[in-house]
This record gives sequence, structure tokens and C-alpha cells, in this order.
Amino acid sequence: MPLETSTTYPLTKLRLDGRRWNEMRVFQAQISTNPASSGSSYLAMGNTSIMCSVHGPAEGRRGEASGSAGSGGAVVDVDVNVAGFAGIDRKRRAGGSDRQSTNISTILRSAFQSHLHTYLYPHSTISIHVSVLSSDGSLLAAAINACTLALVDAGIPMPGLLCGCTAGMTGSASTPKDPREDELDPLMDLSLPEEQELPYLTIGTTTMVPVGQNNMDEDEEDGETKVAVLNMDSKVHYTYLDSLVPVAIDGCREIRELMEGVIRGSQRM
Amino acid sequence: MSNPRQASSASQTPHLSPAELSYLYTSLSLPKGPIRPDGRSPTQFRPLTAETDILPGTNGSARIGFADGTQAIVGVKAEVEKTVLASDILQQDVENDLQAPSDRRDGAESTPSAAAGGHGSWVQMSIEIPGFRDDDALPVFLSEMMRESLVGSVTDAGKGRDTEMAGGLKGRLVINKRWHWRLYIDVLLLSQPLSYPLPLLSLTTHLALLSTKLPKLKSQGEEDPFFDDDWGVAEHLYPRPSPSASATSSQIRPPVTLLVISVGDNVIFDPNREEISVADAVLAISITRNSEGQGLKLLSIRTIDPPSRLTQPGVPNSENLSTMAATGNSDNAAAANPSAGQEEVPGVWRPRRGGIKRSVITELTRTVLKKGGVGEEVLEGLEGVEV
Amino acid sequence: MNDRRRVNGPPGGTRPPVFQSGLQSSNPSDRPRRQRQPAELRKIFLKTGLIPSASGSAYLEFEPSASLAANRSNPKSMIPPSSALKLTCTVHGPKPLPRSAAYSPNLVLTTHVKYAPFAARRRKGHVRDSSERDLGVHLETALRGAIIAERWPKSGLDITITILEAEDDRWWGEPPDSHDASWGIMNVLAGCITAASAAIADARIDCLDLVAGGVAAITEDVGASHSGSGRLMLDTDPAEHASILSACVVAYMPARDEITELWLKGDSSKAVLDDGDSRQGHDALIDGAVDAARGSYSVLSEAVKESILNAVAHA
Repeated sequence: MPLETSTTYPLTKLRLDGRRWNEMRVFQAQISTNPASSGSSYLAMGNTSIMCSVHGPAEGRRGEASGSAGSGGAVVDVDVNVAGFAGIDRKRRAGGSDRQSTNISTILRSAFQSHLHTYLYPHSTISIHVSVLSSDGSLLAAAINACTLALVDAGIPMPGLLCGCTAGMTGSASTPKDPREDELDPLMDLSLPEEQELPYLTIGTTTMVPVGQNNMDEDEEDGETKVAVLNMDSKVHYTYLDSLVPVAIDGCREIRELMEGVIRGSQRM
Repeated sequence: MSNPRQASSASQTPHLSPAELSYLYTSLSLPKGPIRPDGRSPTQFRPLTAETDILPGTNGSARIGFADGTQAIVGVKAEVEKTVLASDILQQDVENDLQAPSDRRDGAESTPSAAAGGHGSWVQMSIEIPGFRDDDALPVFLSEMMRESLVGSVTDAGKGRDTEMAGGLKGRLVINKRWHWRLYIDVLLLSQPLSYPLPLLSLTTHLALLSTKLPKLKSQGEEDPFFDDDWGVAEHLYPRPSPSASATSSQIRPPVTLLVISVGDNVIFDPNREEISVADAVLAISITRNSEGQGLKLLSIRTIDPPSRLTQPGVPNSENLSTMAATGNSDNAAAANPSAGQEEVPGVWRPRRGGIKRSVITELTRTVLKKGGVGEEVLEGLEGVEV
Repeated sequence: MNDRRRVNGPPGGTRPPVFQSGLQSSNPSDRPRRQRQPAELRKIFLKTGLIPSASGSAYLEFEPSASLAANRSNPKSMIPPSSALKLTCTVHGPKPLPRSAAYSPNLVLTTHVKYAPFAARRRKGHVRDSSERDLGVHLETALRGAIIAERWPKSGLDITITILEAEDDRWWGEPPDSHDASWGIMNVLAGCITAASAAIADARIDCLDLVAGGVAAITEDVGASHSGSGRLMLDTDPAEHASILSACVVAYMPARDEITELWLKGDSSKAVLDDGDSRQGHDALIDGAVDAARGSYSVLSEAVKESILNAVAHA
């Protein structure tokens, strides 16, 4: 019988890979990895690794950005490519892209289209190319983080870093939460086996960098946090959302600190 | 229909003016040796950074990046697959066993079946280039080109070496009569190609295959295969020479494909985008070490459509109406020479037309294959890479 | 890629039925043998202008090998011992590029090579597979060197080749997996080049010269006692040789003595040449292919001449 989080976690309070419920996987990131693009990044969360490159803002293709659509601001174009060797079994998609990568690219496009200060670049296109080299869960969250880093590297203005993280429950959580005897714990930053087994959601949050008068008071940062992306494909009883969302937002905050460190380390901020 | 991506096999049409093209051509075709825009010697390659075993989820992987930012990542994955035996073979075998006439036996043995020799279709290659679909002409052409030399390089058996690689890569994939490995080679180009990406892809594939490991087989003979769980004892796809073996037995390595262009009388290696756009001829030549470890073996040659055929011609002063040169002359010239500008005006760019002279091909291959030539240099360079 | 537009035949191929008597005759000694001299080519039938709706067209057919002819007169098996190439080529254009296309100062050449589903012993699908696309690129390279493209700016030229009967990659009696190197495709490419050149001439597109395709190969005999006895053969029929070591196709323009397309693969180092011939294996192979191309050029020029005479007669 294969080990499963839902059976082993209640006994050990440890997840399959030995983490505690609120522990993230090893986070590694690098920016300016590819000199041929305007901005690029490499990001690894555990065994999920992603390379992202940004081209632009540049003059868009004819008819797309130059028309009425582009007059308001830049058009964000996202292309997600999951490499054939990314998963455990080698996958070949027929004719271009599969459902998963299309799904991720749609979410990324709408997230960054509204997040970036696109009005600064009318009639232009910002194209983001995401290559998933190895996928081990939290793909969307990792893609959000990689894109943010690459966009920072490209110097495209945005109100704050957009960071993503996943959260899940240790069981199927299909019945209402029992406040007296609750044996289900929320989990932060899911890996692939956990994602396949448990309900989870992905949240992307952003924090406005304090400007102007508020510049000095750094004590209350959380008040500025906004949820920009929230995506959930699995089913969970609504009473559990209360415990899922804060965990994911906590994860985002941790990732934001890590990413700020990466950016400071490369002296782009 | 007139999709430019589909139409041109040799990368994109260069965005250089006729004057620039003409300048480039002149400096590259200087009889005393070309002057390249980046100051390299004709046989010098661009500097690159390489690393292997970067992706834990694959059997082997490599990344190579050029200084200009073009990067390629290759991941190799291997899967066990059941060998489909054609019913005819079985049928023949049965017949042979029943009748066993001596002549029939000879025939059966002289035609080695797939179970012994491996099959080229077990190696699958796909190339992903941003901006191109999988089935566009360029990725298909590149992957066929690289697969052809990979599958085709069969070393001789015997000659006092271990016979593990006797059947070449194909033979190595055979597990037993009923099972074999299927090898997926996925090539990922991370940015739009700035130059014809063939050398980059070929070198990266070479390194990835060298770093590829297959789990150690624990079953024996014709059993259904099962493998050692310990990745530490996994065996390399291209076996390393054992330290006890004599120093002369060099390791068998995958082939490499080199891109060579000729400009005027000069032969230039590893052209960048500008250089290839003025080339008279572009050849892709695949080589590998000879089985004796001495010299090089040619595996395949393919011509690549030089992009210089698609460039725009320059207008010589004599025909330029705006410079008010002797227009009457040019009219006469045009009338006398209806094939529009067959005459070469020095310093005025003419798109290349026609093909390659036979002697040029000989010269190009000779430069690659000769002892101490570029081919050996490249292979030695690759052997220096720690995998 | 799946073809969803049509009701497809069985994917496993539709080889002709094999009867018991046929099985017995699949004796290695029944393998067709080459009855031509090493430098002797198969006869080529080439005719232009057969498709009136196209601006240029050509039909090309290789003479079936002698062994096939012998087999027809005295059939031992219902399965023909080898196949012979038959293909048609149509040229549409020059025609204006669609308005959405980018400006091109040159004639934009598009080549499509497609096997008919029944062309090979194994059925081909309706969607072009990678080998067909690969052939298209080779053909395009071969032709682009010959066409004077700057005479038609902003125009397109479509060249479509349908292969009605393809060359075999091996003798059918051998086990289907015995060797997988696709040598037949090289003969097909040579035929495509010759036919396309005739069709382009028939469409009155300006060219530097006619381009003829030729194939040469280094073969090893079954009965050879020692290995390393590769012999250079021109215009090889893969069914007639147990082992082909390497092969080469060229597209050759005789008047300019230039090669527009060269495709060589396989191990050419074992070629045994005449005494005093110091060429390397691959050089001899390329020269052989050029000789073969010269041979098909003579047919090509006759066919083109005929096409012009016809046009003059009708004018």
C-alpha cells in the first residue's frame, strides 16, 4: 500500500517528505540568468524548477497591440511550456500545448495584465515565456513567483511583488469542519503526490510598497496585502476555507521575503 | 501558406541592409583569411558554458549557454517498452525449427532481427523552439538531422573492446529479446534562436547523452526486466572506460554535428547569425570518433538552405536613378544582359544563387575530417568537459 | 498527431495477404538481385503538362527493376519483389501572396511532399509525418538554389508532390524490423527533385538550370566472405541489396556544375574503390551521385524540350 498523507499524517504529524504542516520546501532563485532577454529568472521550489524569460515591452505584433486593444496599455502575453521530461513519465502533447499549460498561462496572463503598470507602455507587448523544467507540485505558484522575478529583472514597474503559494488540507475535508474535534491540519506548499491526493488552492498576493507619507510606518504591513490570484480546482467544504486561506497567505509572505532577498542579492532593488 | 517560418529552413531572414551584407561578405571572403565580426579565427568556436545533470527528474540532462544568451536544455528520459516482434519472424522461426534446412538457417542468421540489433525508432527526439510549432519545418529538420547521425553511428564489434556498445546506441537499448529501452530526447531552446541553433543543440544533446544513466538490470536473460533501486549503481548509457582498461581504449561517445559555411574561398566554423546570412554554402556535418580511436568517421552531411538566397540585392551606382549616373548605359546593360544583374559589381550585394561547387564540398569535409582538424579539436574539447 | 477529419483505416498497416505458398517463397535466395551494372541507371519515364489545371506539372516513373519484370512474366508469388517509384508533381503559381503576408522581395517557395496512403507497403496517414516534412525541406533547398527568385517579388509558388508508389526501404521478405534505415526515401527525394524541376520548367519559371536528382550507395553483398567490401552502386533499389552501408542524394545543375542539395548518411568509410583511386569513401559516393544525376538530367532535358515543343505547337 502506498504511503499517503491522509493516513500517515495523523500518526506522525509529518508529511511524506518529512516536512511539518507549515514548512516550505527549499526555495532557490536567481535572476538575470539569460542575457538574451530583457529579464529572466530561474526558480526552484523543491523539485519544481522553472525558467522564465521576459521580452519587452516591445512593439507588438501587427493587429494585436497596435489596435484599440493596445491603446490603453501594454498587452501581456504569456506562453507556458511544460517540457516533455518535466514529469515522472515522459509526456508528449499533441500539437503544441495541453490543458494544464493553457490553464496556467491564462491565469498568469490575467494576473499580470492587471498587476503591472501597463498603462505606461501603450501599443506594446510584454511577452513572458515560462519553461517548466521539472514539475513537482505547486506549478502555478512557482510560475507566478518566477514571472515576478523575471519582470523585476526586466525593470517593468509594478506596485509590489506578486507571490504565490499553495495550501491544502491533510484529508479530503468534504464534511463540515467540527470545531471541537478537528484532526485535519492545513498544509503549506504542496508537492505533487500531495496535490494529487488532497484538496488544495493556490493564492497569489501582493503588497504595495509603501510610498509617500506612509513610507515611515512599517509596523502594519499586513494591512496592505491584497489577494491577486486565487485558484482552486479541487473540492473542499467551505468551512475549511477559513483555515486554508491564511496558511497560503502566510506562505506568500515567506516567499516574498525570500524573493526580496534574491533581488537585493543581485542588486536590482 | 506563405508562413515565413515554414518557408525558410535556415533560420530567419537576416535583417541586414545590402550594404552591410556586402561589407560582411567582403571581409569574410578575404583571401588571406577571413576577418570575422567578433574577431574569431575561422575555426574558433564561440565561448560557451556547459553543465550536466541539472535535472534530477531525468535520466540525463545538460545545459549549454552561449555568451549571447542563447541557451539550450536537453533532458533524456528512458522508458522500458515491450519489443513488438513481427509475426513473420516468429513464423519463420517456427518453420526453421520444423524443417531446419541448412540453407534456411543461413538466411535467417544473416538478417539480424530487431531483437538483436535494436531499432532506430526507439530513439525519439523532439525539439522545442519558442515561436515555432512542433511540426514546423525547422524543428522537424533539425531533429531528423540529429537523430539520423545518433542512430546511424554503429561501431564495429570486437577489436578488443567491450562489446556493450557494439550495436551503437540502438544496440545498447536492447534489454533482451522481448524488452527494450525507449529513449526520449527532448531539446528545449530557451530563447528565440539568434543564430542557426544546430551547433548549440548538437553539443547539448551530446553532453546530455553522456550523462545519461540507466538503472542497473537485476533480471537475467529473457525474464521480464526488473532493476536495481539504487540509483548509485546505475550504468551510463555510453559506458565509461573502466579504470583498469588500457589507456588506448577511449570512451565511445555520441556523434556531434558541426555547422560549416563557405564564404568565397574561406571555410568558417560555428557561424553566428550575421555570418551565416552571407554564406555561399551551409553544410551540417556529423562526425564521431572512429572505432579504432584513430581519426574521425563521417556520419552524415546535409546541405542547409543558406539564408543569403533570400536577401535583398543592392543597387549599383550605375543603375541607381537617384544618383543620376549614366542611365543610358544601365539601360543598355540591362538589355544586353537579360538575366538581371548576373554581372558582379564589386561592393554591391547580390543574393547568392545556384549551388555549391563540388570542390567546395570536398574542401569543407576535408577541413572537418583531416587529422588535427576542426573535428578532432571539437571532440577533444568535449572530452575535456567533466560529465 | 491524430487525424480527426477522416475515418481512418487500421493503423497496423495493410500489407497484402501472405499465403502459405508465398511464405515458402520468402526464401532468402528469392531476393531480387541487381541485374544492372554498378553504374547503370534504371530507365526513367518523365512527362510534363499532364495536369491542365496547374501552371506546371510532371509525372515521373522509374522503370521497375529487371527482377520485377521477370517476376511478372513468371509469377512465383503474388507479392511483387520490389516496387518502383511513381510520383506526380504540380506547380501552382507564381501567384500573389495573401494580403496578410509580410513583404517578400523574392518568390516564396512552398514545398509539400505527401505519400499517398497506399504508396508504401505500410499505409501512410493523411497527415504529413516527420519524414514527409523532412523531404519537403530537402526539396525546397534543392529548388531554391535553381530558381531566380527575385524576378517575382511578393509572389508565392506552391510545389506539391504526391508519391503514388514509393521505393521500398528493404526487401519485403525480410523481417520487417531487420534494419530500419530508410534508404528508399533517398530515391524518392531524387525522383522528387527531377520531377519538380521538370514541372517548374513546364510552369515557365525562370531558373538558372534544370536540377536533376541522383542517388548513389555503397552496398555490401550478402555472400561476401569478409566485411569491408563496400561497392559503389548508382541508383540502387534497396530491395535488391541485403545491406546498404551508406547512401547519398544530390541535386545537381549540370550546366553550372553545382550541387544545390546534398544529403549523405551512413558509414562510407568501407568503400572499396578501384586501384589507384585515392578518393575517400564519401567523396566517391558524392561523385557517384553526381554521375547518377547527370544520367537523369538527360531524361529531364528531353522531357522539358518536349514540353516546350508542345507549347510552341499549340501557340
